[in-house]
Amino acid sequence: MTEPQNGPASPDVTQPPAATGPAASPGAPLLSVNELATGYGDLRVVWDVSFEVRPGQVTALLGRNGAGKTTTLRAIAGLNRVQGGSVLLEGRDIAGLPPHKRIRAGLGFVQENKRVFKRRTVEANLMLGGYTRSIGRKGLMKAVDEIYELFPVLRGRATTTAGQLSGGQQQMLAIGQALMGKPKLLMLDEPSSGLAPSIVSEVMGSVAALKSAGLGILLVEQAVEAAVRVADQIAVLDVGRIVMSGAASEISDLEIIQDAYFGRVRERPQ
Amino acid sequence: MDAVWSGLALGAVYALVALGYHIVFVSSNAFNFAHAQLIMLGTFIVYWGSVTLKLPIGLVFLLAAAIVGGVAVLEERTAIRIVRGTEGQLVTTLGFATLLNGATQVIWGGSPLQVPFFGSSNVLVVLGGHVFPDDLILMGVAVVLTIGFVLVSRMTVLGIALLAVSEDREAALMRGINVRALGIGAFAVSGIVAGLLGPLIGPKTFAVATLGSDLALKGFVAMAIGGFGSAPGALIGGFAVGLIESEAGRYLGASYSNLMIFAVLLGVLLLRPTGLFGHARERMV
Amino acid sequence: MLSVARRIPTWLLPLIAAVIVIAFPYLGAQSPVQRQVILICSLALLVSGLNLSLGYAGELALGQAAIYACGAYMTGYLGSHGYTDIVLQLACAIAAALVIGLVTGIPGLRLGGWALAMVSFFLVLLVPDILQLFANQTGGAQGLTGIASPSLLGKTLTPNGFYVFATTVTALWLLVLRNLVTSRHGTAFRVLRENPVLASSVGISVFRMKLSAYAIGAVPAGIAGCIFANLDQYLSPDSFGFALAVSILAASVLGGSASIYGAVVGAVILTLGPLESTSFQQYSLVVYGLLLLVGGIVLSIGIAGVLQRVWARVQRRWLPPARSAPYEGDLLPRTAGTALSVDHLVKSFGGVNALQDVSLVAQPGQVTALIGPNGSGKTTLLNLICGYYRIDGGTISVGKEQTTHRPYRIARSGVARTFQTPSIPREITVAEAVRAGRYATQRAGFVPAVLRLPSYRRARASDVEEARRVLALVGLADQENEIAASMPLGTRRLLEVARCVIARPKVLLLDEPASGLDENEVERLAGLIRKISDSGGTVVLVEHNFRLVLSVADQIYVLARGQIIAEGPPSVIEVHPEVLTEYLGVRVPEADDLLRTPSEVADND
Repeated sequence: MTEPQNGPASPDVTQPPAATGPAASPGAPLLSVNELATGYGDLRVVWDVSFEVRPGQVTALLGRNGAGKTTTLRAIAGLNRVQGGSVLLEGRDIAGLPPHKRIRAGLGFVQENKRVFKRRTVEANLMLGGYTRSIGRKGLMKAVDEIYELFPVLRGRATTTAGQLSGGQQQMLAIGQALMGKPKLLMLDEPSSGLAPSIVSEVMGSVAALKSAGLGILLVEQAVEAAVRVADQIAVLDVGRIVMSGAASEISDLEIIQDAYFGRVRERPQ
Repeated sequence: MDAVWSGLALGAVYALVALGYHIVFVSSNAFNFAHAQLIMLGTFIVYWGSVTLKLPIGLVFLLAAAIVGGVAVLEERTAIRIVRGTEGQLVTTLGFATLLNGATQVIWGGSPLQVPFFGSSNVLVVLGGHVFPDDLILMGVAVVLTIGFVLVSRMTVLGIALLAVSEDREAALMRGINVRALGIGAFAVSGIVAGLLGPLIGPKTFAVATLGSDLALKGFVAMAIGGFGSAPGALIGGFAVGLIESEAGRYLGASYSNLMIFAVLLGVLLLRPTGLFGHARERMV
Repeated sequence: MLSVARRIPTWLLPLIAAVIVIAFPYLGAQSPVQRQVILICSLALLVSGLNLSLGYAGELALGQAAIYACGAYMTGYLGSHGYTDIVLQLACAIAAALVIGLVTGIPGLRLGGWALAMVSFFLVLLVPDILQLFANQTGGAQGLTGIASPSLLGKTLTPNGFYVFATTVTALWLLVLRNLVTSRHGTAFRVLRENPVLASSVGISVFRMKLSAYAIGAVPAGIAGCIFANLDQYLSPDSFGFALAVSILAASVLGGSASIYGAVVGAVILTLGPLESTSFQQYSLVVYGLLLLVGGIVLSIGIAGVLQRVWARVQRRWLPPARSAPYEGDLLPRTAGTALSVDHLVKSFGGVNALQDVSLVAQPGQVTALIGPNGSGKTTLLNLICGYYRIDGGTISVGKEQTTHRPYRIARSGVARTFQTPSIPREITVAEAVRAGRYATQRAGFVPAVLRLPSYRRARASDVEEARRVLALVGLADQENEIAASMPLGTRRLLEVARCVIARPKVLLLDEPASGLDENEVERLAGLIRKISDSGGTVVLVEHNFRLVLSVADQIYVLARGQIIAEGPPSVIEVHPEVLTEYLGVRVPEADDLLRTPSEVADND
């Protein structure tokens, strides 16, 4: 049996969300995606996508259903083959690494539809999140405890199987699970989908908290308004290409995004 | 009662085969047709170690575990890893099984070889029935291994990882689990366990090249009865097959025992395809 | 000229070979040679049966050896009780084989995969036990002796006569099989193997089709048994064991499972190869094992497929496919579309409501589009319409008839659909792939296909003609003889539409037909969709590409969280506040604002 290997060298085990402190230079991008092309088999869904995520910042990837957002995240995580372009994590091209090594290199991915292990307990799910870290059972339990502090509602349900949780709790568990791996970059795929509005703001609140703790966050959302509120950078995708991008502060006019959604400004130069 | 004991002892062997299928099925989602042949190989290695080389029993255990474990890893690399799709894997694992059958026949010949039992062979009387100590140990080992597997898979991070892989391979990858390495690991463990069982199973079944396909089928029936994907199901299914075999043999005659097992298999597949403990999966398009 | 050159080899060479082999005794072949040939025939028959289920229907069955034993003992029993007529023996052996095939196939195929492999393999293990149970009739472990020489039409067959009979029967069987797999049924088997869901969507009953393949595959095993019993006039249980089961599979893999003549090639190699010589016999299992290991890897990686593709390319290079004359005639005669109505449909998965009270109507002559975010229930709705899920509440009707939950029945009632990921079996041509769409709606049985009866020829001619029409319609007339799976994605999507159109569906469901297409291809697709609806077809379009939807749809339904939140023509949907809410995630009053005075929203923020 292969023992879990050492994860990214990170002596600090006490604060799951703080991989790269605010002290890290905000100038250097944590993740930079350049001219990415990807898809499923010979079906190319993403043609040319470039953007960056900086530590302590949120980059929101917006776009209609089927625009290629999830496909982009999957390619970054190694679940889809990168057919062209590069994916740099802290300056290192990870496009050739197998998926589990990308996770070990500091990537956290919360997939859509609250993808937790529904037949396992909440605690088992969280412990599994720390699979890549060799901190022993005690260290793991301590890390799990920290997640409970972030999402107190999970503590009371530690021995419940994840499938029995409510949608919002499953989403928190999914985020907590990804945080257990101490990522530097956290990718969230539609964390608000299917959740009641109050829960959405709670989830978005924790996204903001993680961001201020220094994590770089790549957020894919259909709820544009909520995403724009928390984002620093915005990129809008359509038919596998970036049709608009810029700092969130510059794009306060939602109509522009709306136009981008309905393909009215596809020819608009960036 | 004698027949019950002998049925349970046989059943323990089938349960151990089914458990081997189960471990590989959980980790690699593959059906290792050759697992029974690995167990058979174990009995030959034990014969070789204890009769031919006259090694002490501790070394025999080690030798069997090492060789069978190694062969299992070899199988994973040649018959599972590079082969995609159930159809192809069925053919390759059957090929590997045939290869092991053929190789043992070439090396040790076709006639059954008696494997000595390392412990006492005095018949005991338990609950009014005669039983060999070897048989009792086998039953104990089957029960302990099943419980152990269930505990390990629930309690340890590695075990949880194994179950996670079987539940959602992709999500497991996204937790940083090296799914492939885990698959190889599971094969190695199933091989090592198969080797370690050699000294226990050999004295009961003899070392003989025809053992493989018989064990493979009965182990499969055990799994079908218990339900694919359930370790306790494999254990109970194994005992059930053993009991059917010995009771049918006793009341109807030896020729009927396989026929009865076959009838039960057809019945289970027709009436309850998920087995006693299996769970149906939602059909997706 | 070229078309003649292409036609000759497919049947003439095998025919010449068969005639020569059958004539061996008159060309001076002695009895040892004859015996070898008969053994090859037996093995080839067994392998051909396995190929039908493994290579064409995609199910591994290991029970050929047991069915063979059944046929042999049936013949042996008859032969030792005075019923020496070989035709009678053959008929009984085939009947017995069919019965065993059906009895074991039904439970095994319920689970498929290893369940069938194991159930059928178990049969092999049972052979000695069953023979022992009927020891009085079978001789048990001692074997069955006293089988009288076979007779034909009241005359005892000479060894030469028996040889001619055995080889002729084998050749005839191979002809039957060839006629079967080169007919539309062969394509249907391949579709089934590639994708059972696709198969049911063109009206093929997956279970029955697999059972047919498995049961028909039992027939040659029965024939082989009959031949084998009369060859030595002695039967022993040892002849039908594990080694035989494995060697059948090895021969199949060696010759190529998805071929007819491959069975003969595999059988020749295994029978005449070094394996049978006594010095090598002990290694035979090792060699079989290696063969299966390597063969299985090749099978899965598809080297065989690669070779076939290379061969196809060579053929195209040197023997360019005949260009058919441009299709003349009406490309799209009036389509008799039928209204599809969904009433108060409810579906939940494990307590989660996927669809709640969904109602919609798709009218003939219109394109009805269905849009909505991920997880809104679009695919669930399509799958319910096609019968892949059971309905929890409400009804779905095509015209006046309510649908069932059997996908193939729904397909036969006139509902055709495309899939998000087009899946096309390897090795078949564009025209064949399109013709598969007619499998269920224009039926033609196995028997007419095997015997090439006039009814089959008529059905085939109209298949060919219709395929040309539909391919001309979608603009693929030039590619009709290309290998379909090697076409680019855009072409394969058009091919899927063509496969649906050829069935003249009452309702056509398109599941994200534009995904992965470039802009030109999207335009072509839009034109095609329009043409179909203009001719009177009922089109339901599920699509993410908003511009395509706006440009072709007559009526749009917007689905969100399992409910229809808006419906109307494109002009309404485009500016519908709730749709904006769903797509942009803003609340309804804000969406209203957004539509009227976008700048105010920004100010509020």
